Amino acid sequence: MATQVTGPQAGGPQGRLGRARAGRTSGRSRQGGRPQYKAYLYIAPAFVLFAVFLGVPALQTAQYSLYRWNGLGASTWVGLQNYADLVRDATLRSSFGHAAVLVLFYSAVPVLLALVLTALISRGAGLPGMSVFRTLLFLPQVVASVVVATTWVAIYSPDGLSNQLLRLVGLGSLTRAWLGDFGTALPAVGLIGTWLGTGLCLVLFLSGVANIAPELLEAARMDGAGAVAEFTSIVLPALRGQIAVALTLTVVAALKTFDLVYITTRGGPGTSTTLPAFEAYNRAFNTGQVGSAASVAVVLTALILVVTALIQRIQPDEVA
Amino acid sequence: MSAGSLRRRPAEVTLTYLVLAVFSLVAVVPLVGVLLSAVTPAGDPQGGFRLPSRVELGNFAEAWSRGHFSSYLRSSLLVTVSVVVLTALLATLAGYAFARMQFPGRNALFLLLLAGLLLPAEAFVIPLYYNLRTAGLTDTYAALILPQTAQSLAFGIFWMRNQFRTFPGEIMEAARLDGASDWRLLWRIVVPPSVPAMTTMCLLVAMWTWNEFLLPLIMVSGENLRTAPLGLAFFQGQHVTEYSLLAAAGSIVAFPIVLLYLLLQRRFISGMLNGVGSR
Amino acid sequence: MRRSQQLAGSLALACALALATTACAPGGSTTSDPAASSTAAPVSKDVAAAGDVTLTVWDQNTDGGIDDAQAKLNAAFEAKYPNVKITRVSRSFADLKTTLKLALTSKTPPDVVQANQGYPDMGSFVSGGLLRPEDDYAKLYGWDGYYPKQLLDLNRFTPDGKDWQSGNLYGVSQTGEIVGVYYNRKVLSDLGIAAPKTIGEFEASLPKIKASGLLPIAYGDVEKSPGIHIYGITQAAVAGSQAVEDLVTAKSGAWTDAPSVTAAQKIQGWAQQGYLTQGANGISRDDALADFDAGKAAYHIDGTWQLATVSKGLGADAGFLALGPDGSSTPVTTGGEGLAWAITTGSKHPDVAAAYIDFITNAEAAQVLVDTGNLPAVPPADWAPKSGTLEGDVAEQWKAVGASSGLVPYLDYATPTFYDTMSAGVQQLTAGKLTPEEFTAQLQKDYGSFVSSR
Repeated sequence: MATQVTGPQAGGPQGRLGRARAGRTSGRSRQGGRPQYKAYLYIAPAFVLFAVFLGVPALQTAQYSLYRWNGLGASTWVGLQNYADLVRDATLRSSFGHAAVLVLFYSAVPVLLALVLTALISRGAGLPGMSVFRTLLFLPQVVASVVVATTWVAIYSPDGLSNQLLRLVGLGSLTRAWLGDFGTALPAVGLIGTWLGTGLCLVLFLSGVANIAPELLEAARMDGAGAVAEFTSIVLPALRGQIAVALTLTVVAALKTFDLVYITTRGGPGTSTTLPAFEAYNRAFNTGQVGSAASVAVVLTALILVVTALIQRIQPDEVA
Repeated sequence: MSAGSLRRRPAEVTLTYLVLAVFSLVAVVPLVGVLLSAVTPAGDPQGGFRLPSRVELGNFAEAWSRGHFSSYLRSSLLVTVSVVVLTALLATLAGYAFARMQFPGRNALFLLLLAGLLLPAEAFVIPLYYNLRTAGLTDTYAALILPQTAQSLAFGIFWMRNQFRTFPGEIMEAARLDGASDWRLLWRIVVPPSVPAMTTMCLLVAMWTWNEFLLPLIMVSGENLRTAPLGLAFFQGQHVTEYSLLAAAGSIVAFPIVLLYLLLQRRFISGMLNGVGSR
Repeated sequence: MRRSQQLAGSLALACALALATTACAPGGSTTSDPAASSTAAPVSKDVAAAGDVTLTVWDQNTDGGIDDAQAKLNAAFEAKYPNVKITRVSRSFADLKTTLKLALTSKTPPDVVQANQGYPDMGSFVSGGLLRPEDDYAKLYGWDGYYPKQLLDLNRFTPDGKDWQSGNLYGVSQTGEIVGVYYNRKVLSDLGIAAPKTIGEFEASLPKIKASGLLPIAYGDVEKSPGIHIYGITQAAVAGSQAVEDLVTAKSGAWTDAPSVTAAQKIQGWAQQGYLTQGANGISRDDALADFDAGKAAYHIDGTWQLATVSKGLGADAGFLALGPDGSSTPVTTGGEGLAWAITTGSKHPDVAAAYIDFITNAEAAQVLVDTGNLPAVPPADWAPKSGTLEGDVAEQWKAVGASSGLVPYLDYATPTFYDTMSAGVQQLTAGKLTPEEFTAQLQKDYGSFVSSR
């Protein structure tokens, strides 16, 4: 009954609707002025869980990094020694270097490749059958990383797909065990990331392009803009949001890589594919250097936060 | 927008289809290779992309029994369903509060949540393990479910808050004027139309939980609680070069999520792409 | 204004939280007191009296022959004691290394585990109070008299985990182990090469084999542990047993001493001259073994745990030898015994656990081991396999190294991080990324920091 009165057909400003509208603005004071403490009840369960299993341990990681501890006995305070050692230790330094290489493969290459491809086919967005391509391109993202890793171990094996393809095109002399060769192991792992990321970026950018008003492109074309100009002045700016998303997803994935390395190379051969996440795990749970592991984790986390913050600056401001 | 308004040259169309076909092929070929390998008999040459001499379904049976994958899948299912249900519940509550209620510290707490979204597992898993060990909770389902729920909540609250923020305020005001309490408002008015968005969130959380490797690796040592990805990792350690057996096991592990994905692709894709983008 | 106030408030909260957590240091009170783990309760052989028991056993017996033996022994134990059910968790060596520590410190640890000897694994477990001393069971079951002293000492540690090969007994081992060279009799006899006995003879045979078009040594190091073996036996044959023993047990010597560098030079030379499998760092040990079994290579360096697999693959053409230093007639090589069967302090059924351990390592078990193609730690007295067979070779070498104390410990026992350091290093050595001097310097750096921290 009351709802009828509050419908748009309701009377003038003094009607229920008017009061409701007024109520909304003063409702802000009801919602905004007087704080609703029961909100804490709503957020409490989530935040308790969050704090106990994520928040506090995250702070503890920083704390652990100031001690030397083997995980079994008592710990000794060493201050910032672990961090100093991190800078001095060639293996740990190179693990961060390897992470940077992976960022190239996981992120830079897929994004650039997808942009180029999008430029090529941006005028063809919205064609029938798109959803099939989208499904296939996105599929690698859905498969468990362990399965991806075991798949690519087979592909890189001496008789695997990679060497089969080389022999097919007459480059049989280049065949090798890709994951066992010092020079090629890290790029090989990187290529897996490229495979994972390219489809994702392509899907992202194509969906972004589909949102560009066709009139804009028509107008540019009528003005005689070439494909390159059209791309750089219309398409690229429109894709800023998507580029930021693509970069965020892929860069963080690159820096966090653990599963892939654990299955494919365990950091080998030698130490040529060791990564920060793997080092943190190995030191904490295998070699009994928990403090050092925590320091690696802290540095890695800081790196991820900084990089993500930098990428966000690409975002167009209206997406807040 | 009307696709017809943009004139396309046939060459452009061909190029488009060509490019998409090539890259879709690249995306799919390794996975097709897994399936082919999975039905390849052990006597055939292993490891490459080739048609098997005959279809050997026994690899699946062998992976299932010798690799204990029935137990691993059961464990994965239990953990995934629990995390999804818990996350959905808690994220709905908290997301609603963030979206529609005012309280001191709201912005600060939300910022905290965003930080949690970015934290890699390594940032907290080490002390988490030792804390749970002290509490005697390692090697329990709780050690798998609760931390992963915490991880998923960062995304879930963010997602539900977005969803509830865009909910039309008039409907809520109307119901409130009818005397509906916040609780009723949430569950009777706001949630039902939000089910599609919640479904997307649940799908993503399910995928991330099912595929999770590091956390179970550390928290669980007992055989009976092992999740599927972990089982595959150890299975691979024992049968390093038996590629067809490993392919069969891998197919078993990946199958549930891939099936969900094929049935609900649009939700998966839009969820993953929108979830991170719209800050 | 309000926003920055809120931000400041939450920042203060975070700092307070941080300070609160830094107040308590990690570790310390959570672990059990090592001294308290010594048993006060009387021990018993009576398994039936224990009632219904589920014994959780973690083992590393994944290789062909020993896997068979373990399955047989488990079944026989369950048949003898129907009240006991065995839950067996079998894991590869690398996987066991990464998961055992976590399992031991969990709320429900396994009852019986195979623990790797040396400082990294058993030493750290003992210092953490995770393993139960077995001296009382040793007396009860007569293990003291059954095993040679050298084999028992390898499983000893002082209760603080600081000194290896003295103190309490923490386990007994099922199998003996020698790392040596499997060779193809037919290939060698066709080329007119006698089975080498010294490192010099071995090296002299390599170019001859290569010239005939065959691969001299089938070697696959993707799992990283074979690298430790190839270096170990080379170093042992060059430096002699006393020098290596002193080095691994941290009594004297340095890894940069001449014999160790020479050994590294030899291995790098073999890789450069194509005597090892091409691209070995990407080849798995199993693949290399398969090549050897198929007759594509003359030698394969591996341990006696592969006896059954090699026998199945190559049959009568297979032989086994252990190298010795030039000019010596007795072998000096890496080896010892299989991983020690230990009882965890968290086990609720130590008596049943001990009975199980005795059952799978006693004289009857030794016969089962022999029957399934393994080398028991204490071979049955009547075990005399035919000379000129693979089994015969293994038996002869085991007797020979026992008589001359020619076994040196596995090199990764030396420090907690030595497994990683050495296995990565050998990969770099064979790939030519390090010079032999750089390789040994890397080893010495790890070793030096461990020794000075003890």
